[in-house]
Amino acid sequence: MKLQLQHLSKSYGPKRSVNNISATLTPGVYGLLGANGAGKTTLMRMICGVLTPTSGQILFNGKPIDVLGERYYAHLGYMPQDFGFYSDFTAREFLFYMAAIKGLGKKEAIRRTERLLAMVNLQDMADKKIRSYSGGMKQRLGIAQAELNNPAILILDEPTAGLDPKERIRLRNVISGFSREKIIILSTHIVSDVSYIADTILMMKQGRFLIQEPMATVTDTINGKVWEILTDEHQVTEYTRHFQVVNLRHEGDQVRLRIVHETPPTPDARSSAPNLEDLFLYHFNGEEQAL
Amino acid sequence: MKTLVRYEFQKILRKKSTLIILAVSLLVTAFFYILPILQYQTYDREEVIRGLAGIAFDRARYDQLSVVLTDDYICEAFRQYQELFENPDNIGYDGNDSFLIGDAYWNFVAPRENLLYMLAANYDAPGEITGLNRLPHMDLEAGAGFYQAREEKISLLLDTPSRQLSQAQKSYWQNLNSQVDIPLSYGYYKGWEIILESFELLMFALLAVSIVLAPVFAGEYQAGTDAVILSARYGKTRLVTAKILASFLFGLTAFTLHILAAFGPLLLTFGTDGWNLPLQAAGTTIPYPFTFMQAVLINLGILYLVLLAVISLTLLLSARMKSPYTVLMVLVPVLFLPMFLSPNGTTGLYNLTLFLLPYRASMPEIGKYISYQLGGLVFDVLSMRAIVYTLVTVCLLPLIRTGFRKHQVGA
Repeated sequence: MKLQLQHLSKSYGPKRSVNNISATLTPGVYGLLGANGAGKTTLMRMICGVLTPTSGQILFNGKPIDVLGERYYAHLGYMPQDFGFYSDFTAREFLFYMAAIKGLGKKEAIRRTERLLAMVNLQDMADKKIRSYSGGMKQRLGIAQAELNNPAILILDEPTAGLDPKERIRLRNVISGFSREKIIILSTHIVSDVSYIADTILMMKQGRFLIQEPMATVTDTINGKVWEILTDEHQVTEYTRHFQVVNLRHEGDQVRLRIVHETPPTPDARSSAPNLEDLFLYHFNGEEQAL
Repeated sequence: MKTLVRYEFQKILRKKSTLIILAVSLLVTAFFYILPILQYQTYDREEVIRGLAGIAFDRARYDQLSVVLTDDYICEAFRQYQELFENPDNIGYDGNDSFLIGDAYWNFVAPRENLLYMLAANYDAPGEITGLNRLPHMDLEAGAGFYQAREEKISLLLDTPSRQLSQAQKSYWQNLNSQVDIPLSYGYYKGWEIILESFELLMFALLAVSIVLAPVFAGEYQAGTDAVILSARYGKTRLVTAKILASFLFGLTAFTLHILAAFGPLLLTFGTDGWNLPLQAAGTTIPYPFTFMQAVLINLGILYLVLLAVISLTLLLSARMKSPYTVLMVLVPVLFLPMFLSPNGTTGLYNLTLFLLPYRASMPEIGKYISYQLGGLVFDVLSMRAIVYTLVTVCLLPLIRTGFRKHQVGA
């Protein structure tokens, strides 16, 4: 199974939201990272066929998705960011409704609905109106509807947004539990979520892929560039001004700074193993709030 | 598909707003149609008789008046009127006109006043209203000549220069008139008459249906559910069909409920009497060879076609606009602007267009000889409305599908 993005662009007037992106996705979990307005949601919408590219095309197993139509959508599951529900429906009714739109037979719809309600831990609330649900419950229901047709391509746009840590971990485990035979594209602003479950990192900046690397090697580019130093509190501002400080932790009277820099910022700086957050902040520090 | 239609129908019905709008609209419609009952009044010699008692009183009067209007019957009625008029004690004078008073009025005219006025009007020139003034002086030597007078009046009507009727249109109307069965039957038809005269009040039902259906597509955009359903397997195909079918189903059901709320009380109180009487019982120059019930059903059929077209337009706007409110901002003027426009004749682009717009299209206009000529083909206004609204619906359906299918999420 292969999903190819070929020279994909999307413009809104003079602004290019997505700029000539090309990639070939095969089964695995893709963590999509980028700052606000980097074009992640636009890209996901185009992959889901709900937004037409200005240029370029998307191929599923070699065929354009707009030609495949239903044959493509049958393999797709999409959980958009901030999407609405029918508040008068119960979760079970909503999933039955989505199952009907996704073309599942009645028995299959019941079987999948019950399984997913259990998976996202909503069985007990399944017959309550959605209007009574918390944000986290709605997010879980959103994931359930995306997975309802057991899609080969699963697109999750900010599935953990607005969740408390416990809900986040639960949802992360749910996503991790999905088949590895799928192409899962996951956009989240919680970098640690991605680092736990993604096989590949796609980092977007100004409508382009800045990084397309396997998770295992994605931080290689900043290997030997991450440093930790212990300093006085009054010197923090000075360090922040001259170096890329990606983390700051108080230790008694002193502060431990984590810095990404080509060379040691101080002679006594200690080299540290880079992580995804370092990489992310290295590329996006100073931009608008990262997502 | 059945499952999808059922879900879409449920989605429409489950909203509280749907139930509130329907309830209010049904109450308003029922109120409008109950008004003629509440306000009904008639007279006997002593008093005004109001409401249900008045209706019952008048219905009873017609027991003697359910007749076939042969020339002999009409001649005899006129003769009796003239005989009463020969007695000066029976005559009143208001400075302009003379008329029967006292027993002559209460015993002869009052019970058959509508009939006498209808018969007398047959002899008036087009546009002229002389009431019963002509009757005392009519020459009845050779009979009443009622149906000949009718034909002559219709010919004069068709030849009226302001009507600007082509020869083909005149032939069309003459042909339609020739299908009217004569001699005419007469009787009580009040319930049907009120229905025919108040079809436009059903516009509130159309508005209610439009308000409820405005969010069918736009509501998905507004709620942010568009991305999920459009990326689902049947989101751009069967779901659109299901939404259209569910909307039609809802519209037809809601509209039928309004019709029951409107016509039910009228037919229960005024009765169904007159269902099989010719429309000409209400006016001899009406050209359509229908009974009252046929005319009501035909106009109702047209109104259902208007409904389907209005639903289609609502859905098209809903598919193309981002919010249900903008849909209504366009739709309400389309439905109600014609209410404030009056026709100034029966010809010309303005008038002929006006008679086809939703508000006017609800009015049967059965006595106005409104016709449309397309090349050699002539259509009366009822046929034209049926054609136009069917075409509008058929043309809009594919545009609705395209509108939703091509919707750009978040764009």
